[in-house]
Amino acid sequence: MNMHSFKLIFILFGLLSFIACQKKTEYQVVNTDSYGDNLNKNKAKSNIEYHSILTTNLFQKPSSVNELSRTDRVIQSCGDKSLINEVIISNYMNSSQVKLPTRKFMVDSTERFIEETYVRFFIRRPTEAERTWFRNYINANKSNPNFSPELVYTAFAASDEYFFY
Amino acid sequence: MKRRDFVKQTAKIATAGLVLPYLLPSGRLFARTNEPKAEHVVYVLFGGGLRQQDSILQRYLSDSQGYNVEGNIMYNMLEGAAPSTKIAYGTTPSGQPNGSQPIPKILSQSIQKQGTLFAEMRAISGGHYGGLNSLVTGSGVQGQGLKVRPVNPTIFEYARKFGGFKATDVWFIGNTISNSTPLLNSSRHPDFGLQYGANFFAPGITFGGDGRATLSNAKIYHPQEELEPMYKMKNFLDNSFNIRQGDIPGIKNTDEEKTRIKTFIEETFNRQSAGLLPMPPVSGGDGSTIGYAAEVLRVFKPKLLVVNMSNIDGCHSNFTGYLQAMHKADHALGFLWNYIQTQIPEMSGKTIMTFVPECGRNLNHNPILDENDWYGYDHGDANSLRVFGGMVGKNVPSNLMIGSENNPIGKVTDFTLTIADILGFKDQVKSAGIIDPDARSLFDRI
Repeated sequence: MNMHSFKLIFILFGLLSFIACQKKTEYQVVNTDSYGDNLNKNKAKSNIEYHSILTTNLFQKPSSVNELSRTDRVIQSCGDKSLINEVIISNYMNSSQVKLPTRKFMVDSTERFIEETYVRFFIRRPTEAERTWFRNYINANKSNPNFSPELVYTAFAASDEYFFY
Repeated sequence: MKRRDFVKQTAKIATAGLVLPYLLPSGRLFARTNEPKAEHVVYVLFGGGLRQQDSILQRYLSDSQGYNVEGNIMYNMLEGAAPSTKIAYGTTPSGQPNGSQPIPKILSQSIQKQGTLFAEMRAISGGHYGGLNSLVTGSGVQGQGLKVRPVNPTIFEYARKFGGFKATDVWFIGNTISNSTPLLNSSRHPDFGLQYGANFFAPGITFGGDGRATLSNAKIYHPQEELEPMYKMKNFLDNSFNIRQGDIPGIKNTDEEKTRIKTFIEETFNRQSAGLLPMPPVSGGDGSTIGYAAEVLRVFKPKLLVVNMSNIDGCHSNFTGYLQAMHKADHALGFLWNYIQTQIPEMSGKTIMTFVPECGRNLNHNPILDENDWYGYDHGDANSLRVFGGMVGKNVPSNLMIGSENNPIGKVTDFTLTIADILGFKDQVKSAGIIDPDARSLFDRI
């Protein structure tokens, strides 16, 4: 390779490098991390907060301070908080005052039932994965006469996420 | 078979033979380090502060109130004649003087005759929570704060981690939810903690008026048709919301164990209404706590159950009430041991019961007089570190007394290591290096 050819290649390489550099396009969109709302919940509710919110949710009226204090003492008297809360929830469910959606609504309007249940308990909408899982699960249990909104509500009320805000 | 295949298969079988015994039985991860001495342990925290002079030394009123009346008011536990005068330690029949009716003895042979007593031991703390901590952790740490879980692992956590026991194998029955008692079922030690904690009930609350109003109307769901789908949905929701270990402030039972405990709660209310719960003949207070402990033993046959009593702490302001509470606590202890031996065949002859108070009481009285003009006693001085303890049951030498007033042997921290010794994981507890370095199994002190 002679000197002339070398210079020609050098100039051509420099020209190509200049052309290849392109200014970055800015779309003026604010970058946002992708995450679900539940990741922000990191503060545990106290026993009294938890049951105050839950009873208001289930009975559409708040419990008295005496009832809440009594419930708090009972929770303290049991080592497995999750277990004792499930027993208390099932006591609530056994009350004639509890207000629950009908099974017909759950089966006929499954999408709306799922959406409303998530918003009611978790104060957020379900993700697509959650929506799909519950839709499939409710559909798969349509033939089980014991599968009711009460069980779905119990699962939500006893879930870890409902203990946090 | 080719030689190479033969060698390969032999190696596989040999490896499996070495590894599987450590994984299979009850899912335990650690090999037993010593041969278990019994299958079950019942550990009674004879709690509230028990003064040596009035209990094992059997001086009744002579070393506390200046009356020359001595005698044994704990005749289920100890050998010795009861006081013959100034009888105020019993129950109170209608129209009779306070405490004038001693409670009949339950055991045909005293615990002292049946087992081994350590007549003069040393407590770690002259206070309740520090003392109870030393009893359940075996640790000599004295800076344990109230309203926080023990700094060091409890015997429950050792049992579950090293013994491979499930949550329903390990129970703590507390007499109250005050004084941080519910926190004693697990420590906050990073290597142990709630995942190895014990199930806990404070029966006076759980099955008392509060519990009845809150729990007794629970629906009992069908295990397969209702509970299974409910738990499947709950588990899905929990998996979508991963929380850090320890964020939920309680121990965890498996779904199957939860169903068992829920059934137990329902049946206990039913048996309570029907008067079928196994209660000591003279019940109430500590006696009632012991009765519910007996019910847990009857239903779950746990590997380890710890039960706490505290009525004798009334001694701060009522010495007469203290004598009565001590007498009733002895009655309750006798009832519990008798119940295990006669009503729970799965545990009879396979159980060791251990007992010790968390602390003693002061040498000198305080200025508070009760209705008999007897002085109360607080706790916190050197005399309140003087306690006695013991054990009875399978493989425990009978009719043996170790140590004396002038020859103290043993510490309250020995009990954690003793239970580990009984259940077969003593060396692992020692190797963990968290217990009092001076602690020894009581079997090793004999």
